[in-house]
Amino acid sequence: MFEVMFWPIAACVLLPWLLVYLGLHVVQRGIIFIDIAMAQMASLGICLAVLLHLDLQSWTTFAIALGFTLVGAAIFSITGKRASQIPQEAVIGISYVVAAAAAVLLLSRAAEGDEEIKNMLVGNILLVTPNEVWKCFALFLAVGAFHFVLRKNFLLVSFDRDGAYERGLKVRWWDFLFYAAFGLVVTSFVRIAGVLLVFSYLIVPAVCGIGLASRIGKRLLIGWVIAWIGGIGGLFFSFWWDLPSGAAIVCTFGALLIAVSAYVLIRSRLRTS
Amino acid sequence: MKRFLLTLLFSVAIAISANAKLNVVATLPDFGSLAREIGGDKADVTILAKPTEDPHFVDARPSFVVALRNADVLIDGGAELEIGWLPPLLQNARNPKIETGKPGRVIAAQNIRLMNVPGNVTRAAGDVHALGNPHFMTDPIIAKAVAQHIAQSFAAVDPPNAAFYQANYTKFESEINAKLQEWGAAMLPFKGQNVVAYHDSWPYFAHRFAINIDIFLEPKPGIPPSPSHLVEVIAQMKAQHIKAIIVEPFQNRKSAERVAEATGAKVVDFAQFPGGLPGADSYIKLMDAMISRLAAALK
Repeated sequence: MFEVMFWPIAACVLLPWLLVYLGLHVVQRGIIFIDIAMAQMASLGICLAVLLHLDLQSWTTFAIALGFTLVGAAIFSITGKRASQIPQEAVIGISYVVAAAAAVLLLSRAAEGDEEIKNMLVGNILLVTPNEVWKCFALFLAVGAFHFVLRKNFLLVSFDRDGAYERGLKVRWWDFLFYAAFGLVVTSFVRIAGVLLVFSYLIVPAVCGIGLASRIGKRLLIGWVIAWIGGIGGLFFSFWWDLPSGAAIVCTFGALLIAVSAYVLIRSRLRTS
Repeated sequence: MKRFLLTLLFSVAIAISANAKLNVVATLPDFGSLAREIGGDKADVTILAKPTEDPHFVDARPSFVVALRNADVLIDGGAELEIGWLPPLLQNARNPKIETGKPGRVIAAQNIRLMNVPGNVTRAAGDVHALGNPHFMTDPIIAKAVAQHIAQSFAAVDPPNAAFYQANYTKFESEINAKLQEWGAAMLPFKGQNVVAYHDSWPYFAHRFAINIDIFLEPKPGIPPSPSHLVEVIAQMKAQHIKAIIVEPFQNRKSAERVAEATGAKVVDFAQFPGGLPGADSYIKLMDAMISRLAAALK
């Protein structure tokens, strides 16, 4: 088993920590679908590169994809006003569908079968290579360090927006930095693990952590444990019953969330009675 | 612990008994069917893609890597047919026996002259295969050549049974030769007729049975049918009195049905892979089924 599953397991051990942390921010801000919107922005950039006949593995293509993610970050930070009638999730949803539709239009002109783009954007955790794991891990360390150094302001902007405004923080700029770093993390993880996995790693451990604890440190710890159990457990099921690995991990996360919710429910019943 | 040791012992026993047979992996069911004909009971054939799956996109599972790791022979189409999913699997399997150039690797396209090799490849032509059209197994004469290639590889990897593989090839060859007469006779009345297909997967089939399959529901290979293109196809079909539209299991049957409704043509279910049509679980049975379906629709 380990011959085949070693690198997928390594990826599931080394990479999710940052996603879980960012997931706490995302859930707190109530912008659940931002990861999918960001990934779609990046893919729109890659479609443009296809239209321009650029080599998909080149740095130019990467720069275009990154540029589109930054445009997304700018849109989301500008529209995230302090008091707005339009919920942020609506803007995110609109960005997603427009980016997805624009990609369809571009591709119909580029006349490129979508298989290369699919390969580029939707990775398969089973087929991850050591090189990809280390590259992604290095990037995550850098973004993690960035977040750690500036954690006070990032946490304030996500968890206490009114407080952030009162202290005179330039919330919009902090939002932009948050989204830009987030976009970088999401698009690089999507390439090795696929959209479904990114979404689950961001949201499920964070939701479990919020259900079980109230302090951020404890939530993060619980989230990490859930992420490791879900990832390694899912890969185990995938191997045992020969299932597609990404989908097996996602369903394991679903089962974990149900178990945690049941536990929380029973605990609160016991407390009130 | 005891149970663990027992399991371990058991799996070792399985591994040893399995080694007595030739471990063959075929990427697609058509190669798998030929491998079974040639290998008989001396080969264990594992087929990766399902017959109803698009050969360009196959979802990898852990067992694929295990199968490739233990393979003595790998049969793949080549010509970029499996380019989207086979290379990363091979990279993970790291099996020197099935590297390109080794006797354990049968790249079916290697000895075949491919049709529709583009003069210069540009992205503007759609999702074209730079090396030519890779759907060559739909021509039974090419299938014979691939079967021979497979028999040679089996003989090289497993010399004690070389005569057995050669005999199986000869048997397969004469079966195909007999069937070719039958199929040719069934298709003869429709010589030169035009047929529409969803994707350009049938140039070899069309060439062998002297029909024309030059109109496609896809405007360009890999691009889903657009309304304006379908209107154009409908006009062409009416003008040329085309009676059949060929669709494969993984393609969008609805657009074919729409066009069929507008033109009075019939939708004919074809499959490139044994198992893709009910009851057609071997290469010859599949060709039988397709020929009789098409002949019925063209009548």
